[in-house]
Amino acid sequence: MATVTIDGDTLVVEIEGMDKLWALKSRLTIPLDKVRGATADPGMIHQPKGIRAPGAHIPNVITAGTFHLAGEKVFWDVRDPAKAIVVELADAQYARLVIQVEDPRTTVSLIEHSVRRP
Amino acid sequence: MGRPRGFDEQAVTRAAVALFSRRAYDGLSVDDLVNGLGVHRNSLYKTFGSKRGLYLTALRWYLDHDLAPLLTSGASPFPDPAALDLLLLAAVEQAPFDPEVASLIGDALASLDAALGPDAATALLGLRLRARINLKE
Repeated sequence: MATVTIDGDTLVVEIEGMDKLWALKSRLTIPLDKVRGATADPGMIHQPKGIRAPGAHIPNVITAGTFHLAGEKVFWDVRDPAKAIVVELADAQYARLVIQVEDPRTTVSLIEHSVRRP
Repeated sequence: MGRPRGFDEQAVTRAAVALFSRRAYDGLSVDDLVNGLGVHRNSLYKTFGSKRGLYLTALRWYLDHDLAPLLTSGASPFPDPAALDLLLLAAVEQAPFDPEVASLIGDALASLDAALGPDAATALLGLRLRARINLKE
């Protein structure tokens, strides 16, 4: 589970509880101008995930950590796919984040209305 | 920002207009969009940023390329009432909760009023709303 907040011009993603151990990260900060949008996407869990390094991947239980696929790095922290959101980034360490949040609709709205589209 | 294009962005945008004209925004999952548009999920995210990014792109395309020409043509009666569907759906569903959509739809309704006169514009929207109950899949 992750908590997403906006602090000035920065998107802050805090990984909570035991997931910190699996994902090997407790906090991600991304400048808002590198955030392209967010989408509630329960179907994302069925996408190929690629090679995990580092982190934990126990199919149907937890997908957490950094995954490498087709030249992209994607950060995952999902136990319950129904609450997964996809945060698309540009020119950042990760191509996108796939994280589980308590209230996908509210978090997606927060991010979508904070990003500036060209 | 570098945004690799693995597909024809304009064709995908037009296809998205068709999807969003038939079903409500919340009724279309990303799975529906990926299947309906025939693009990879990651390409969709890479190109449009998000589902809402795709929606806003599709809505702007529709307003500029589908609706605006119909209004400037001055043809009477209005030649293609089905072309009002995305305007109607966006006005009912997304505009009340999304200021960006509300602004686009507000401008479009003002253009419709200016082109047809407010009474004719309101009647046209009402007739299309009633006709949509018999929309065929």
